[in-house]
Amino acid sequence: MSITWNDNAPIYRQLRDRVVAMILDGVLKPGDALPSVRQVAADFQLNPITVSKGYQELVDEQLVEKRRGLGMYVTDGARGTLMKSEREHFLREEWPALFARIQRMNLDLATLIKKAENTGEKS
Amino acid sequence: MTAVVQAKGLSKRYGNTVALDNVNLDIEPGRIVGLVGPNGAGKTTALKAILGLAEFDGQLSVLGLDPRTHRTELMEQVCFIADVAVLPRWLRVGDAVDFVGGVHPRFSREKCEKLLARTKIKPTQRVRELSKGMIVQLHLALVMAIDAKLLILDEPTLGLDILYRKEFYNNLLGDYFDEQKTILVTTHQIEEIEHILTDLLFIKEGKIVLDATMDDVGERFAEVMVNPDKADAARALKPLYERQIFGKSIFLFDGIDKARLAELGELHKPSVADLFVATMKGTYS
Repeated sequence: MSITWNDNAPIYRQLRDRVVAMILDGVLKPGDALPSVRQVAADFQLNPITVSKGYQELVDEQLVEKRRGLGMYVTDGARGTLMKSEREHFLREEWPALFARIQRMNLDLATLIKKAENTGEKS
Repeated sequence: MTAVVQAKGLSKRYGNTVALDNVNLDIEPGRIVGLVGPNGAGKTTALKAILGLAEFDGQLSVLGLDPRTHRTELMEQVCFIADVAVLPRWLRVGDAVDFVGGVHPRFSREKCEKLLARTKIKPTQRVRELSKGMIVQLHLALVMAIDAKLLILDEPTLGLDILYRKEFYNNLLGDYFDEQKTILVTTHQIEEIEHILTDLLFIKEGKIVLDATMDDVGERFAEVMVNPDKADAARALKPLYERQIFGKSIFLFDGIDKARLAELGELHKPSVADLFVATMKGTYS
């Protein structure tokens, strides 16, 4: 398994983002254990300090919790917390531009919903 | 915490050649330190001094001991894999395990056998029947089964294919390393281990020319892609290195404010290999 890290963000941050994506996608569910720092360090050929730092970010955001002697676990509220912040992010950062574009193209709500439903059936 | 390796004014001459020139080092426990330099820069000489295998001038303390006078005590806590595989060719694998078990008080036979069981190496095989990769696997199994504080690796993966190289570091990180241990490694395959390292040492012509944590490296250095109209402005900031690519100039800077550099062009974090090329330029000419 080969992972390429981009050079725009520190690796611990990219590791954090990876776990966040897994929680949002439901790959990691509440109560699921994260792989140990040692395991991640070996698998991704990272130094353990980098991995710990990434995990610490997740703890600080209350997305995972440390259980003494056992390791890191996804918290019950993790998905909810993430969904909330993702929604806020979408509404704040992405929706205004998207909405402006829809208006420019004179697309009405009914057309958009119909299209989305059709696509939904196909997939 | 006390330093694992501390050197002050460490120097070594071979006749008229200066192999180490007034080297200062401070390696803390729990770190994975990469010692990187061109051939003949003094890497192996520095490791030999730390291991008590070579005489030197200046001060050197390893785990609080002087390697010149306390080599035996030191060897209980320090392990070493050399770039030249030094296991006798007639030796059987099982005998090698017995031997290390017999001479080393901190060796765990159980751990060693567990590690060997993961490979294709059989206890009855002789070293001469093993491939280069398998000899390194055997070496690593023997060394990882020793509960040592400092592990020194001199080009451990030299001549191995990428599968063996990956597995080597995988074992090291997954089964060996913890915050009580320290690893000092030299390699030319720097791009393969740069994310494993916590600290980076560059050595050039016997001198340490870079000594920084990887976090500092990320903070200090930046690469900027600059269009020709701003190239002179970039040169005025005294870049370490300049190269041309697709009609643009790429400059490498040390310690210049990132906001200021962003005005010149697109910013990138240089790889350790880029830093190496920039730092070592002119070495062979």
